[in-house]
Formats: sequence, C-alpha cells, structure tokens
Amino acid sequence: MKKTVDDRLAALRGSAKRLDYNARSLAALENNPRCTLRALLDASGSDKTAIATHVGHPPSFGQSSFAITRGNAFEAMVKDNGCAELLRVLRETLHLTLPEVGYEDLNDVGGDGRSKERHERTEEVLLRAARGEGDGTLFDHPMLRLLIGGHKAYLEPDLVALRIDGRFHIVEIKSFPIIDEQADSTQVRAATTQACAYIIALRDLLGRAGIGEQAVSDTIVLVAPKDFTNRPTGAFVDARKQVAALTRQLSRIERIGDLVDLLPEDLTFDLAPDAEDRPRRPAEELTEALDRVLVTYRPDCLNHCEMAFYCRSRARAEASLDVLGPVVREQFGGIDTTTMVMGLARGELTPSEDQVEMAAALRHAARLRAELEDLGGAA
Amino acid sequence: MSRLYLESQEESGKLWNSGNVWYMSDPLDALEKSIGTLRRAIRDAAAAGDTERAGELRMQLRRAERAWDALVDAGEPAAAPPPTVPEAAPAARGSQLPAREHVHRALMLLGAPAAPKLIVGVHEAFFPGELSASKLSSLRRDEERSYRSSPGARPYYLCPALAHDLLTPVRALITISTWTLEQRVIGPLSPRVDFLTSAIGIAEAVHTAAESTADGPSPEALRLLWRFAVNIPDAMPRNAAGHEGALDAQQVIGAAQAELDVHTDADRATRAEAARQARKSLGDDEQLFGAPLRGVTHLRSARA
Repeated sequence: MKKTVDDRLAALRGSAKRLDYNARSLAALENNPRCTLRALLDASGSDKTAIATHVGHPPSFGQSSFAITRGNAFEAMVKDNGCAELLRVLRETLHLTLPEVGYEDLNDVGGDGRSKERHERTEEVLLRAARGEGDGTLFDHPMLRLLIGGHKAYLEPDLVALRIDGRFHIVEIKSFPIIDEQADSTQVRAATTQACAYIIALRDLLGRAGIGEQAVSDTIVLVAPKDFTNRPTGAFVDARKQVAALTRQLSRIERIGDLVDLLPEDLTFDLAPDAEDRPRRPAEELTEALDRVLVTYRPDCLNHCEMAFYCRSRARAEASLDVLGPVVREQFGGIDTTTMVMGLARGELTPSEDQVEMAAALRHAARLRAELEDLGGAA
Repeated sequence: MSRLYLESQEESGKLWNSGNVWYMSDPLDALEKSIGTLRRAIRDAAAAGDTERAGELRMQLRRAERAWDALVDAGEPAAAPPPTVPEAAPAARGSQLPAREHVHRALMLLGAPAAPKLIVGVHEAFFPGELSASKLSSLRRDEERSYRSSPGARPYYLCPALAHDLLTPVRALITISTWTLEQRVIGPLSPRVDFLTSAIGIAEAVHTAAESTADGPSPEALRLLWRFAVNIPDAMPRNAAGHEGALDAQQVIGAAQAELDVHTDADRATRAEAARQARKSLGDDEQLFGAPLRGVTHLRSARA
C-alpha cells in the first residue's frame, strides 16, 4: 500500500530530482497545515520555486544576499574567539557555570562536510554528552536528521547548548534586534518554528539511544542583537505549543495517501525539462494541473511558501476572502467571496437561511457607512 | 623596493641575513624559550622513566636546536640586542616586514592559537604595517608548501592547530611550529583557555604600551582589550553607580587568570593526551600540518 503512495508522489513530481524537506518546508507544515497543494508538493519533493516561476509567479523572498550576509556575519561575531560573546549571553540566560565552556565543532568531520558523515559524528558526540561524558557544552552546527514520510531530511541548528543538569537547549542565532526586550513577533515565530524541527530531530536522535524526550528542553534560546547595538543578548522562547503542532503534522504526513487518493490518476506537476533544464511543458497546462488541487491561501503564506504569489493571484481572481486573512475570513463564516459579501450588504442577493444573520449585520454596516459618507459630503 | 627584496629573500629560504637582524629577535627568543621548555620536559620524562616520550622530545629538541643554529649562523646576533617590546621597533622598518613575520609577532603576543581575524586585529592594534586576512590565507598555503619542499629550512612555520581527537588540522586557527604540540592541539576547553590566554597577552601589551610609550596604547588596542574584557567575568571595572568605568589592564589580567585557573587542569590533561597520541601516530610533517583530512583521503588514494 505504502509503495503505491510513493509511486503516486513520484508521478506528481515527474522527472525532476526529489527535493528533501528542509527547515523551511517543515516550518510551512506547521504554519498552514490545511493547504493540500503545499502538502502534495512538499511530500512529493517537487521544486516549488521552479513550478511557481514557470506559471508566472516567481517567489521573491528569501533571496536577499544582504540579509544572508548580515545573518552570517552576526553569527560569526557571536562565535568568534572561542564563542566569547555567546558564553557571556548563555551564562546570563542559561546560567552556565564557569567550568561549562567545552566547545565541539561539528561543522565538518576532519575536513569532510558531507551530511551523512557529519550526522554520524553529531550522533556520537551528542550521545556521549547526554551520558555525561566529555567536556562538551556548546555544539556548533550539529547535523540532525529526521525521517519524514520515509525520507531523510538533514537539519542544522546554529548551536545546541547543554546545561550541567543535563538538558539540551536549541540556540538560534538571529540578526533581527531585540529592542527593549521586544522583538518582531513574525520573525520570532519563524525562528521558533524552525527550532521546533530541531527539537523534534534531537529528541529523535536521543530517543533511538533510549534517552527520554525530557532531555531536550522545549524552550529555545534566541540570541540576537540587543537594542540598536551589535552586541548579542539572549531570550527564552517557549516553543511547547509549536513543537506539539509540528509533531502532530509530522505524524499526519504518513496519511498523505488519503490526499493522493482524491486526485485524478493522471495529475502531474512535471515541468518536462529539456537537456538544459528549461521547462517544455506549456505553462497553461501546468496551471490547469495546479488548479485541480485545493489551496488554502493565507496572507502569511507569503513569508514561507514559494507558491504564495501564485495562490494569491488565484484567490484574487476568485474574489476569495482568503486574500484578507484569517481574521476577516472568520468574521464571515459561510461566505467565501467578496462579491457575495458586497451583494448581501447592498441587498442585491437574497441570503440563504444560515446567512440571514450575517446579511442583517452587513446591511447595517453598509447603512452606517452611507450615513457617514453623507455627513462627510455635507461638511 | 627593500620590502620586495626582503620577501624574495624569504622565498629562497635565506631569511635572517645582512643588516636586518633586528627582526630576528622574536624567532630566536621563541626558539630559546622552546628549547628550555623541551629540556625541562626531557628531564621530567627521564625522571618518570618514560623513555618513549623522552626520545620523542629529544628529537624535537634537536630540530629546535638545528633551527637555532641556522638562525644564528645566518645572522649576526651579537650585533643586535633584540628589542623586547614590539612597540620599540621603528615604525618605518616595522612596516617592511614580510607578512609571515607580522603573523608571528601577533601570535607571540597572544601566546595561543588564533583565528586570522584576531591576528589581523592584534596586528592593527599594536604593530605598524599592513596585514590583511586575504594575505593570511595565501600565506598558510605557502607555509606548508615551503616546509614540504625543504623541511626545517626556516626557523619556524605557521601551521594550523590540530583537533584533539582526529588530529586533523583545525584550519580556522593558526599556530607557530616552534610551540609544543600541547600548545597547538585544540581540545573542547581549549577555545576558552586560549581566549583567556590571549586576553592576558593583549592586556599585558596594553599595560606595557601605557608604561613605555608617550602616547600610551592605541585606540585600536584599547578597543581590542575591551572586546575581550566584556566577556570575562569581573574584568570590567564598576564605579559606584554600577556603570562600566575605564578599563584597567591589571584587572583584566586578574579576572582572566581567575577563570583560567578553573579550566587549566582539565584542558592541559586533554591536550597532553592528544599530543602524546600525535607523537605516536603522526610523522614529523603531520605533527605540524595535521593528519590527512578524511574527506580528501579517498581522493588521494584514488590518484595514487
């Protein structure tokens, strides 16, 4: 049974190389679990960037080389000189004691940077640390692995810190500032979601060696520039809820077969690329294929999903309330489009039985607005 | 012009010549210090009955002595009372040093393996002349090539630190070949130990500059010291209001030493063990430049 699902997913992807889950697609899993299109594209390992580009909506985020350089420079600064700045921050937040300074560099294994080798080394080093052997406290760029729907995904947190009472903490180093102990909530949320995948992967690694999941804290340490300076400071972020949500989503990936079964047999997102990797499949045909799958667009998809611009244009074309975000959408339970909202407000449409209440409210709002406009006109 | 001359001399392996003896002081000092340390270590090893270790150390000692001989023969040491404080070197001539000399000087000041960024920082804070990080990376390749073509021709080489477990090169950290293996190996606690050691080195240099020069330490030097001090417990002076006051080099040294005392024993044990392993399993060149990288071993064997 499992095999046929995999075959179906492979057919959806077509001739392209399978892309593994990464921290970002895992984050999307937690952010918008209801979107069927994203679930299918991710599970089949399709290249969302290529597909979105081909249908005329290239993703335009996550590409700022300035932001990437800035992020890397800040991380390097925090880890310079034997993690001097980081140790100060962790001594303040995690209350590391003076002797807890051990540093293990897991960026490569004796010059070998391949994921598999690094993962084996990470496993060896972290298990040793979990058993209380060795002097390791800071683990720089460990390579974790998570099995998602039977496929391996490698994940690489900035740092894992071990406190002396034996709990691992995921440390995320981010270059957005914490000003007066407040940081941009969208960015914190994105960082936390990313860290959740690390927490789950680390628990999985320890779990395989019979170490309970309480060994990994579900509070992450966020290290970011303080106020308007470049000096790092640290803050705890509670990730419990997001860890639970992501865990649930991961267990549901196994049920991707239910989604696949609902699709027509011949559906594929194959780009049919030529020898030079240029897609040969007509864009209209691909759009048609995408249109056959249910999408759940939300404005915050723009932050994390490559398909977001395509989905937004589609939602706009259908005059869907999705464009206005979940807050607005929830106000209009049972009504899907702006045309219908306007029609009810103007009294041009006759409300069905369960729309009566909503229609009354809308007409009231329309009346108030008209009165205000009249007042404005008189003044 | 004369800078070019110096560098080409250096390339041919005949450094330490003619009237430029003033810049030999550091390598000679380093060698003498290292020879002294080695002799003491041999005596200890002999007393403990560890003939294997004593033998290894004797080999190292002979290497150091050969380098020392070469250095003395090539130059005119008697003519040059070596300046002990780096600041005493005239700026005009200091700027003419080859890059590897700059690096050597900065590392001697720090007294511990250091990343290129820190080396450049120390150089800019305390020494004249130009040194860039990009220059440093090409330099590192040259050092190994030069050693392999004629081992021991230079009195010292700049080499990478060694990882304590795999004994592979830690390319991000530069050391000097005249340092003992124990100094060049990096264990889990070593990054912190080396940070504190470097802090002491920088604080001492700032202190010396404050005492011996009219202008005192440069603003860059003070900034460098500050960057170290803020990350060491109790290294920053507090005034009555609890605000950070002016830096005190002596206080930084005291604070760094206090934390150093916490780590030293454990760190030294790891490093000594790793160094012993390295002497046992690695050849002369590998003891300097590290065991072959795992990622490239299969490439090498495939080529052979």
